[in-house]
Amino acid sequence: MAYEYQAVHALDGTIGAIAEQRTNHLSVHRMTAVAMVLAAPGQTAEAAGILVSNGEFEARFSGPGEWLVLSEVHAPETLAAELSVRLGDFAFVVDQSHGRVVLTLSGRDAARILANGIAVDLHADAFPIGRAANVLCSHLSVNLARTGNESFDLVVMRSFAEALVDDLKVMARSHDLSVDFATR
Amino acid sequence: MTAYRLASGGLVDRSHAVRFSFDGKSLTGHAGDTLASALLANDTLLVARSFKYHRPRGVVTAGPSEPNGLVTVGSGARRDPNTKATVAELYDGLEARSQNRWPSLAYDVGAVNNLMSRFLSAGFYYKTFMWPAAFWEKVYEPLIRRAAGLGRTDLPRDPDSYEKSWAYCDLLVVGSGPTGLSAALVAARSGLRVILAEQDFVLGGALLSETTPIGGEPTYVFARRVVEELQNSPNVTLLPRTTVFGWYDDNVFGAVERVQKDVAVVDAAKPVERMWRIVAKHAILATGAEERPLVFGGNDRPGILTASAVSTYANRFGVAAGKSVIVFTNGASGYRTARDLAAQGVEIAALIDSRMASGDVAPTGVRLLHGSSIVDTKGRYRVRAVVADRGGFEELIACDAVAMSGGWSPVIHLACQRGGKPVWSEALQAFMAPDVGAGLVMAGAAAGHYRLSECFDDGARKASAIVEALGRPAAGLERTAIGEEADPSFTALWHVPGAKSKAFVDFQNDVHTKDLGLAVREGFGHVEHAKRYTTGGMATDQGKLGNINAIGILAGMRGVSPADVGTTTFRPFYTPVSFGALAGTSIGEHAMPTRRSPLHGWAARNGAVFIDAGLWYRSSWFPKAGEKTWRESVDREVRNVRENAGLCDVSTLGKIEVFGPDAAEFLNRLYCNPVLKLPVGKARYGLMLREDGMVYDDGTVSRLGDQHFLVTTTTAMAGGVLSHMEFAAQVLWPDLRVRFLSVSDQWAQMSIAGPKARTILQAVVEDDISGAAFPFLAAREVRLKGNLKARLFRISFSGELAYELAVPAGHGEAVADALMRAGATHGICAYGVETLNVLRLEKGHVTHAELDGRVTPDDAGLGRMMGSGKPDFIGKRLSTRFGLTAADRMHLVGLKSMEVEKDMRAGAHLLKDGAKPSTINDQGWVSSTCFSPTLGGHIALAFLKSGRERYGEKIVVWDQLRGVETFAEVCDPVFVDPENTKLMA
Amino acid sequence: MASLISCPHCGTRPKEEFLIRGDATPVRPAPMAAEEAWHDYAHLRANPRGRIREHWQHVAGCRRWLVVERDNFTHEVFGVTDAAKAGEGAR
Repeated sequence: MAYEYQAVHALDGTIGAIAEQRTNHLSVHRMTAVAMVLAAPGQTAEAAGILVSNGEFEARFSGPGEWLVLSEVHAPETLAAELSVRLGDFAFVVDQSHGRVVLTLSGRDAARILANGIAVDLHADAFPIGRAANVLCSHLSVNLARTGNESFDLVVMRSFAEALVDDLKVMARSHDLSVDFATR
Repeated sequence: MTAYRLASGGLVDRSHAVRFSFDGKSLTGHAGDTLASALLANDTLLVARSFKYHRPRGVVTAGPSEPNGLVTVGSGARRDPNTKATVAELYDGLEARSQNRWPSLAYDVGAVNNLMSRFLSAGFYYKTFMWPAAFWEKVYEPLIRRAAGLGRTDLPRDPDSYEKSWAYCDLLVVGSGPTGLSAALVAARSGLRVILAEQDFVLGGALLSETTPIGGEPTYVFARRVVEELQNSPNVTLLPRTTVFGWYDDNVFGAVERVQKDVAVVDAAKPVERMWRIVAKHAILATGAEERPLVFGGNDRPGILTASAVSTYANRFGVAAGKSVIVFTNGASGYRTARDLAAQGVEIAALIDSRMASGDVAPTGVRLLHGSSIVDTKGRYRVRAVVADRGGFEELIACDAVAMSGGWSPVIHLACQRGGKPVWSEALQAFMAPDVGAGLVMAGAAAGHYRLSECFDDGARKASAIVEALGRPAAGLERTAIGEEADPSFTALWHVPGAKSKAFVDFQNDVHTKDLGLAVREGFGHVEHAKRYTTGGMATDQGKLGNINAIGILAGMRGVSPADVGTTTFRPFYTPVSFGALAGTSIGEHAMPTRRSPLHGWAARNGAVFIDAGLWYRSSWFPKAGEKTWRESVDREVRNVRENAGLCDVSTLGKIEVFGPDAAEFLNRLYCNPVLKLPVGKARYGLMLREDGMVYDDGTVSRLGDQHFLVTTTTAMAGGVLSHMEFAAQVLWPDLRVRFLSVSDQWAQMSIAGPKARTILQAVVEDDISGAAFPFLAAREVRLKGNLKARLFRISFSGELAYELAVPAGHGEAVADALMRAGATHGICAYGVETLNVLRLEKGHVTHAELDGRVTPDDAGLGRMMGSGKPDFIGKRLSTRFGLTAADRMHLVGLKSMEVEKDMRAGAHLLKDGAKPSTINDQGWVSSTCFSPTLGGHIALAFLKSGRERYGEKIVVWDQLRGVETFAEVCDPVFVDPENTKLMA
Repeated sequence: MASLISCPHCGTRPKEEFLIRGDATPVRPAPMAAEEAWHDYAHLRANPRGRIREHWQHVAGCRRWLVVERDNFTHEVFGVTDAAKAGEGAR
């Protein structure tokens, strides 16, 4: 008997094929490695210093002394280990690659679409590129990050991923939106 | 024919005919019409029957304060009752129907109420329907229900969709008249983020019906140019068709945008209405002023409108309200309407001025009657003549419309919605907005500056002040020459004395002057009492038009100033908002999010029947071919687990990882049982209490490392326990060095239970999991064949030899499939939460059916777990208090039905054999029940007074709801394997 | 109640993002304090009008417990602090 455990994405089977990307596009990332970093008590500044984004990974604010770290470079299996080595005693690192789903919403109306479910002021002056925060989107808590003038990342708990995509489609009803898995 | 479309003029598009219908009759209007202006242009004055007396009524206003012109638009599930004809935008195919009449608007049976009006005086509800009491439900209520209400809605579900949006701005301007436009323009040019909201479908407000030129051009041309500049400003959002209905804490405004209320065929994919929540640093209310009607005998006949409405219909819509119009005024505004009509060639039968003298000049040739008033009107479905009183001398003057002007009231509603009381201005004879702080300021006519030039200046000045308050230099506005302006002065006239027939104060609720008199005489003269007693100021218009006159009349009757009477309380909503808009997208499957287990696909492939469990969608049972009822499937699954093995999805349990040097100490204080000495690699059952000593939640605590734990919670309490732990760590003991994180979604977790569980699991797990190597309560990381890291826990809810295996969520389905393959030859089956429930019940394990917040550990038979030697834990101190240790507390017991065919239901009460059902005889209650395939009978868990001392007693399970009494034997709650031989195998 | 709360960690957020526990003034008694003190702590709450301190948790955001000081009559919010920091001040 062969043992291979093919990974299933939370959104497999829920997203139809599309001919082309529309004005606004929701891209579902299959492979992003995600880890949660919890600064050891009293070591927040030290941990933050080490987590300065370096191209290998990006740390996003989740709460005081807590960051969601995303990486397209590291594999899910290795990101947490890599971070543990770098952070040493300054933080606890928990692999969340399977626990979270990463989505990117981009396009001309991205901020307007999000305003249909998120109460945070998303004007570029108020929520500039690089800013991240946990916010309520419709009924769900998500980590929102601005990655460009017209693009945002949303990181959601895996079990809520399908509900979030459904909500985003409804939020985008007055706008043109396509949804697909990211190709990488 | 009397009301008609003027040969020229107005902002409607005369080249674009729009077909619509009213009460089934096909009519034509123009693009740019409201339903009201189009009806008027078609000489359709009678549009409604009044609420109480069913009197014929026509439109009175040209805006959102309309009390009479309420119609039903659309049909079937898209039927919108109580739509204001004066606001509804005309579109091709619009179908409108009148309301509150039967069988037709012209022949309305309910009009008999008018003849019986002496029995329908104010407060008649309170007086008439008092006795006999037997009539309340059977006669009066159906009667009132049929008679009450305005339009009716239909029962089918609304097919349209709605949405909600958040918006942020530096400045929200409400209203797009001269004040609003100048304010928005200053702010826009100064670089502020501006939202300009206007309830009308065209921006411009009063500028659309104003005749005074600005800079030599018509006002609407000026408005269009300003709107164009605002449209081209990237920092400005224009929201036409948007009513700002509420002002809430922290300068948050509620507004509803009518997105698709101007089309016959709705694009179902898009919202028909959008609710905005606007967070504004500052707001300017440029909501203008409302013209007051005059209260005179017969003032409610169709064809009697406010003078400003008559002007608006003429100037903006090119519609004359009549061919021969009487203007009745107490100030200068009536003269303006007379000039507007004269300019359009409409005959003015008389200009009646209640003032003895004034400097106002009537148009040439118009008969002007000073010191006069109207005391009655004639006509059936429309006004045909008025009875004018000239100092005691009565004269009948023929006409086909009356334009009445009772002076002006600033529109201040929003500013008073957060508790601020309006302030009476003796100079303006009007209630003004109180000072409500810097967040919201009134401007223009809404602040009592009625002249056009004042409006421009005030809007610009107040916007400049806001720009500067935000630390920016304010941009200027070019000055424009404004032509000769109308004088807004008036002399208050709350009602005309000597009315010869009913003089209505509140048209919508049929409240007339005599009703107010009755209210004062019967002791309900306080403005809030008078409102409830007479119903004046209720329903959809909330007294926008009538309240001010009611207050003036009450003041007169009580001999005080309107300032002493005060106003009723202003609350959201300014105008009615549909439930659809308030619900937004939170309906149907979007009312709550659905959570999917990582094993959902596995369960579906194995034929699961799913059930909603909180937000989760859980597999309930797995029917096999030929099984007709859920019980057949569950009985089979239970037997199979007890004899062979089964696999169940338990991913929904809450999972929290706890780190830090004080992690053990933290958990030791959180759970009532000791945790400090839990060895690494071991799990332990854990019980959390509330501070009051009652059980809060249960689960397992596993020590994965010296400073690393994993705790589980029940599915239901996963969120609550996390919050509870955060409270303990952040508020109670911030000094403890501990960190934790919910990892519930990272792991797919499955229970493998049954005598063959180890054999099956060993086929997949690389590590040795023999009884010696992996004993009961072992908990550690293992490696699966195929090199996948997993966490394995030897814990059991079913009472069988059992394990819980956790793998990274994405691999869950593949691992479950591998276990099913490995277990096929050993008879493994998939089982769901129903079977899980039977298994745990047979073993006497509790869930939240038992742990309902009133149960102590000892009640649940878990008293031995309490770490009484610990210095502190949540719930320790109060768990020893009097009452929680009483001997006659209810104990968890098992019940075996003594009647083969009779089951028991949760919620049933327990009685001693032969005792009458009563509170005094109540011995306890049933918490969970099932049919036990293992025992071959119905069993239950229950709480029974001193239950542990009563094993063997025969007791009555009394189910009043179903009228069933069942005899049962009290027993130990552990029905299966009390020696734990299966568990420890 | 306020429409918006300024979380010291996340910025201005709508009240829907928060969970409200209630009065923040009771302090957990010492483990072996008199039963009366524990009874007060667990069960008794004053219901004053005016300025109050409450525990709010930013559940949809940073998940920190906060002390919101506000007026339950005027709805004015005077300040929002992290509960761990607020506790330091109280001790």
